[in-house]
Amino acid sequence: MNRYLMIGSLIALVACVPKKVDEQPIMQNNDRVPDASATVAAASAQAERDRAAAAAAREDIQARALAGCAPAICDAVVRGELAIGMNEVQVLAATRTTEDAWAIRQAGPSTVMAPGDERVVPSDFVGNVAMVQLADNRVSRYAYTEAQGIRMVDNPAEATTEGRAAALAEQLEREGDEFAARGDLDAALDRYDRVSVLVPSDPMIDYKIAAVLDKALRPYEALIQYQLFLHRLNLETIEAEGAAAAQLAEAIALAQQRIVILERQTR
Amino acid sequence: MINRSRAAAAALVLGAVVLAGCSNKNVSRIEPDTVTDLSGSWNDTDSRLVANALIQQSLTDPWLSRYTTGHGGETPAVIVGSFRNRSSEHIPVNTFVNDLENAYINSGAVTVVASDAERDQIRAEREDQQEYARADSRARLGQELGANYVLQGELSSIEDEEETTRFGATRKEKIVFYQVDARLVDLESNAVVWSGQHKIKKYIERKPFGL
Repeated sequence: MNRYLMIGSLIALVACVPKKVDEQPIMQNNDRVPDASATVAAASAQAERDRAAAAAAREDIQARALAGCAPAICDAVVRGELAIGMNEVQVLAATRTTEDAWAIRQAGPSTVMAPGDERVVPSDFVGNVAMVQLADNRVSRYAYTEAQGIRMVDNPAEATTEGRAAALAEQLEREGDEFAARGDLDAALDRYDRVSVLVPSDPMIDYKIAAVLDKALRPYEALIQYQLFLHRLNLETIEAEGAAAAQLAEAIALAQQRIVILERQTR
Repeated sequence: MINRSRAAAAALVLGAVVLAGCSNKNVSRIEPDTVTDLSGSWNDTDSRLVANALIQQSLTDPWLSRYTTGHGGETPAVIVGSFRNRSSEHIPVNTFVNDLENAYINSGAVTVVASDAERDQIRAEREDQQEYARADSRARLGQELGANYVLQGELSSIEDEEETTRFGATRKEKIVFYQVDARLVDLESNAVVWSGQHKIKKYIERKPFGL
């Protein structure tokens, strides 16, 4: 009986003892830490091979792109900017890339070049390129990824500084409208102010700024903006151009009403 | 009686001098890659292990080939930013960060751009040149290389220890776990393009009476 009790307690004791695994130390005193120089040498050799291959490909692309190009296209390639009318090789030369950087899809005479990897977007001197569309191997339109969204360029005028400013102003105005609709008047005013810098002669922006200031209970500034809006419109000219006047008639009437009210309030 | 105590004192002093002369202090130069663990705290071996792991991970990861492929063979420009020490020890993180930076430079696979503190010093020198240097030897303004990525990271540690006393003898056991995380962040999009990690776990045991 005692023997069974002893064996039973021994088993119970063994069962309660935590299991111990004796791991061998990874490193002990006087071992040597392996050197990373082999990794660095391998990376260096690989980088050299990649660089040489890419340099050869880019030289070839550059030579083909500049062979017999129109002066405006040649200038754009050298500046590193996309332009309407470029061919596929010239697009690669302008963006300093090779075909590996792009996913190129062809459908009949139309070709679309999109970034091959969305994490590494090709870019030209102007910005990150979202897409290039070619018709009969000539660029018909292209797009940039910008802070306010995608900006399309489908004629040479849109690629100029003024064209870019107009496109950017349009995107900012849209953002401003959205903020105004959400009731975030400070953010809306910020966007409209930026538009007024890019497109200084747009009376509708003056009207929107005035309306936002009016809603934000800033009557003095709103009054000045309403007056500026009417001044910019040059009413006589607008009256002569019936269609334009009709489009702005409501804004003009509202601005005039608000001027009267605000002038009374601020006296 | 006085003579006897003087003789004892002299013998004591002489003994102390002899004992001090016999102290066994020994300094020797050893190979920097030798593992020498004394207290169990973070040491040069840990730093080298972390550096090796991060070098291996970052130079063989696809982020590098992805960038060169997408940019016509250009190498990415990286700024080595801050590595925070969030452990309970004082750890000079620069040892492994500099190893990593050296590996980037020597591999030629990554272009390393000077950090903000270094840039300030260089800019001051360049501005100085605009006024005092000969025109044909001036470093031109506005020619700096903008970085594509910033390397950031942190070192954290977790400790666990226990003391057990049996028959008046105390046995101490301690586990220290270090984790080093490094990240490469795209400066334009804030996307993390590469993340590396190395973990070190140490078991430190202090037995009573050297048993």
